[in-house]
Amino acid sequence: MIYYQLRNELWKMFGKKRTYIGFGAFLLAHASILLIFRYWQGPRRDMVHRLELLGYDSQKYISNLTMAVAVLVPVAVLLMPLYVALVGGDLLAKEVEDGTLRMILARPISRLRLALVKWLAGLIFSVVLALALGGVGAAFASCLFPSGGLFVFLPMEGIFSLFGPGQGWSRYTIATIIVSANAATVMGLALMFSCFNVKPAAATILALSVLLTSRIIQEIPYFHDLQPWFFTYHMNYWIKMFEQRVPWAEIMQSLSVLFGFNLTLLIIGCVAFQVRDIKS
Amino acid sequence: MIELRNVTKKFGRNTAVNDVSLTVTAGEIFGLLGHNGAGKSTAIGMMLGQVWPTAGQVKLCGHEVTRDRRRALQKVGAIFEAPAFYNDLSGWRNLEILSTYTAPTPARRIQEVADWVGLSGRIMDKVKNYSHGMRARLALAQALLPQPALLILDEPGDGLDPEGIHEMRQTIQRLHRELGLTILLSSHLLVEVEQVCLSIAVMNQGRKVFQGGIAETRQARGWVRLRTGNFAEAARILRESGLITREREGQFILPAEGVGADKVVERLVERRQPVFEIAPEEETLESFYLSLMKK
Repeated sequence: MIYYQLRNELWKMFGKKRTYIGFGAFLLAHASILLIFRYWQGPRRDMVHRLELLGYDSQKYISNLTMAVAVLVPVAVLLMPLYVALVGGDLLAKEVEDGTLRMILARPISRLRLALVKWLAGLIFSVVLALALGGVGAAFASCLFPSGGLFVFLPMEGIFSLFGPGQGWSRYTIATIIVSANAATVMGLALMFSCFNVKPAAATILALSVLLTSRIIQEIPYFHDLQPWFFTYHMNYWIKMFEQRVPWAEIMQSLSVLFGFNLTLLIIGCVAFQVRDIKS
Repeated sequence: MIELRNVTKKFGRNTAVNDVSLTVTAGEIFGLLGHNGAGKSTAIGMMLGQVWPTAGQVKLCGHEVTRDRRRALQKVGAIFEAPAFYNDLSGWRNLEILSTYTAPTPARRIQEVADWVGLSGRIMDKVKNYSHGMRARLALAQALLPQPALLILDEPGDGLDPEGIHEMRQTIQRLHRELGLTILLSSHLLVEVEQVCLSIAVMNQGRKVFQGGIAETRQARGWVRLRTGNFAEAARILRESGLITREREGQFILPAEGVGADKVVERLVERRQPVFEIAPEEETLESFYLSLMKK
């Protein structure tokens, strides 16, 4: 039974045009950023300069992999939450707005089950979107740049790393998989707001507001000691996959925190959905 | 089939449904009447477990909705005003989706219901291309898929043109006749309710102000319609004879106590007044409803 109901949610989700906005935006963002890298000498020259200054062969590292990571980081941090929140905010609130939820709740399905099925569908969407983000980046970069090693320079995170192609691809793949946990967290946040009596746009905006507020507070220098209390701090941990030595313990800790955060959001959402009245 | 016992629903300070008790027995076509905001949709929301009652008990098919929603709604179909669907999906897919919230439904059953409602030719089209009438048929199809024993219709005639309303009326009667469904019809289209339902309840400002048979609403209040060649002359004769106490509107007389139509006709014929028709005045549901609203 749950298989059919999950299938329903996926049909509904992937039957809507707005679900594909995120995928389209990723294509556009990847194409734009990679074309700038490919045909505008400025950013490339800067990259070459940094590598050669430290005595590395820049030809080995100005590669599809380096470019894929260069795009993955900003798109995963800035764009992905937007599209995940858009779909997550719709999950329940849009059904209430359209009136389809009344049709569903005229049937003998419990609200808890419905919320769980929607959460599962959201989780699947988050994973698909994150994997599409990684896949599209790798495919575009491979069309425009030669194969080679991975060079990652993220001064804010204190990362300056170099990897061979084999290790580089495995780091990229694992990072993409961990990014899906971030997507699922934003999805869970938007779905939780969607469970309350709000419009779909409000659920999306609330989720993004919480996300940005947490990020802003986390970045205030005086709050440095409090950083581990903010969920956005733990959402950054996938970037650590590009450190020369992967801090697995810290990554697992952050993933555990995100799991707990998601569970809390799910419980709050389910309770809110259970006790509210559904009116036309 | 439906039992509401002292049900109250408050939204903040506003009482939408106030201590309503209602019983709909199996096999009935029952009309729920009331103005906009009277509490009909809230009452239906509570029947379907979409709105939680503040007080009271709601039972469907013998099961309490708040405690055993799954069993209470197992044999229930519902249609709401302006039926909503997933517009980017086909009618067929909509039926598949909605039916699986009750139980997975075989394709044969979906086809059977699509044929029954007359949508089989367009069932694979996207719902966004459906007319209002086709959406109404699709709404009926989704309600019929779980083979319900009880059908709850919340303002199903809203937005339909006269042909659509006529079709809806025929369909309700057909559902009752062919499938033996118990039907609760909530509407403010009094004529439709009058033609389809045998029993009604009327709600006003959250309270039930009447429940009974349609026949009760038509009870003559003593007035008799009289069609004659010269109503004024006939009325004068009857008044002078002490057979009537009042007359009105050039066609109605109020006979004196104990006076039947036979005596009225006898006297008029004696006085060579032609009598074309004499019949008790039947109150329409509309006039009955309006009189309730004024109370």
